[in-house]
Amino acid sequence: MNRWFLSLVPLLLTGVMAAPVELKINLRIGDQPMQFGQTYQTPQGQRYQIDMLKFYISDLALVRPDGSEVKVDGLVLADFKRDAPTQGVSVVKMDVPAGQYRGIRFNVGVPRELNHLDAATQQLPLGVNSGMYWAWNPGYIFYRLEGRALLPEGSPKWVIHMGTDTFRLPVRLHDLQTRRVQINIPSGGGSILLNLDVAKAFEPGPGGVFLDWRKQSLRQLHGLGPETALLMSVVYFNMQSAFSLAQ
Amino acid sequence: MRRRPMVWVGLLLGVGLLGWYFWPRTAPPPPVAEPPPPHPSSPRIVFAERSVPIPEDNPQTPAKVALGRKLFYDPRLSKDNTIACASCHRPEFAFSDGGKPVSTGIFGRQGIRNAPTLTNVGFRRHLFWEGRSPRLELQAVGPLTAHDEMGLEPEELAQRLQAIPEYAQAFREVFGEPPSLRAVTYAIAAFERTLLSYDSPFDRYQAGDDQALSPAALRGMELFLSEKGDCFHCHVGTDFTDDEPRNTALYTVYKDIGLARATGKDEDVGKFKTPTLRNVALTAPYMHDGSIRTLREVVQHYNRGGEPNLNADALIRPLGLTDQEVDDLVAFLEALTDTSFITNPALLPPGGKGSTP
Repeated sequence: MNRWFLSLVPLLLTGVMAAPVELKINLRIGDQPMQFGQTYQTPQGQRYQIDMLKFYISDLALVRPDGSEVKVDGLVLADFKRDAPTQGVSVVKMDVPAGQYRGIRFNVGVPRELNHLDAATQQLPLGVNSGMYWAWNPGYIFYRLEGRALLPEGSPKWVIHMGTDTFRLPVRLHDLQTRRVQINIPSGGGSILLNLDVAKAFEPGPGGVFLDWRKQSLRQLHGLGPETALLMSVVYFNMQSAFSLAQ
Repeated sequence: MRRRPMVWVGLLLGVGLLGWYFWPRTAPPPPVAEPPPPHPSSPRIVFAERSVPIPEDNPQTPAKVALGRKLFYDPRLSKDNTIACASCHRPEFAFSDGGKPVSTGIFGRQGIRNAPTLTNVGFRRHLFWEGRSPRLELQAVGPLTAHDEMGLEPEELAQRLQAIPEYAQAFREVFGEPPSLRAVTYAIAAFERTLLSYDSPFDRYQAGDDQALSPAALRGMELFLSEKGDCFHCHVGTDFTDDEPRNTALYTVYKDIGLARATGKDEDVGKFKTPTLRNVALTAPYMHDGSIRTLREVVQHYNRGGEPNLNADALIRPLGLTDQEVDDLVAFLEALTDTSFITNPALLPPGGKGSTP
């Protein structure tokens, strides 16, 4: 009887300690909350509006003070719709052991082993109904940002479609060296709030290159053409610091 | 002692089984594979005895093909209700874009590439000019969602079709589910697999009709299949294509870099998929950007050996064809035209009003 009970203790403990946690995201332009349909300005003075933002989150883990990780399985498509909130939007729900963490890490993108399967037979959040499948370049768009440029001659649409295995974006928001990052998950659960500075994509790159929407070729940033390849890398580089912990 | 009866029982059983096994009886007739009934839209196959590969997850049914055909010709599948698949894949031009170098999508937006023919497209292993798409179902996602083609998001397309009662019902009957981008592509792919063409003069010649090809076309055929003309290495097989991306030395500097757009590799710059030559006389202008107006000019391009290009296919070189030989090659290419393909009522718009929306 005693031994039978003891063998259940680890099971009971994990059951007790697993706390529901939500990963929430604030969309930002710099340090201001982002709103769909509002006009913003790039560092180069080009005015624009954001129409759509969708991206995949995968390989998510919380990092313990000793550097070990609590991995959270699954792939999530974060879909920010024009008429829906942009602040504190819950994108991932997970169950993790309560306690102290020194950060969080995830990838923006679809894992390689899922990225090149037959999309016709994959289910949501993958598959063609996700709106993220790249027909001409099989695989998924990892990060899809679209909007309008407000130019003197009109308001052309622009798109940033970041994808292919090379552009899977690692987001590393943990710090084991200092005490700067402290995430406390009480046993009753809680949430982790991130800021995503959408405007990072528009910051200039080496030599001052930037997404100049006056050039038609740069309004469709999705392939590795001669005009777009450099800017694709610039956006990718800038996006590496676009996510931050809000608390 | 106690074992004895068991032994007898075993022996009896064994003898019985052997007897049953060897007893002469009439063998059941070997199962005869019923040939599938020809699809109503299938044309008469004159020479090529082959059937379109059908993916296991998208079996052909008459109702699905009918739905796909309806969708193929319906401009409501585009953002501004002006562009159907058939707007750029027009049946009278063997499902290519009727003389336009590049096609125009929604809101008058110009594409950058020449719309390819859909002749026998069900046999292609690689789709798009880069040849990167593995199946028709996935290829169709491209034009349906591309912002300069039909430009609909999956949700928008689903809602729009659900609001059209005849579509809502047809999708329920064919797929057992409401309309979705996925189901739309499955239906359109099923229709595309019926776009078959095998009744050109060349096919009739292959089937034994000595009169089907003119003397010029016959000379052209010999050239086509010889090392001198050297067309056949890439334009190989029943549909005259190897489905592989190649650089044909069209330019020294390519504005549209082709396959490299996807791979980012220098050696892929200027590579585009070898197109089929069936019905090629109906699909002018030519090349990925529609930059060459006539078949004769295309043959001349290859005869010259193209422009200097590091990525040019090894087979590209000056061919030294005489004017007469160039004419003969063109005569052969023209003999690949199957007029029954562009008049087959099963492939034209349902309801028969006009051929193009």
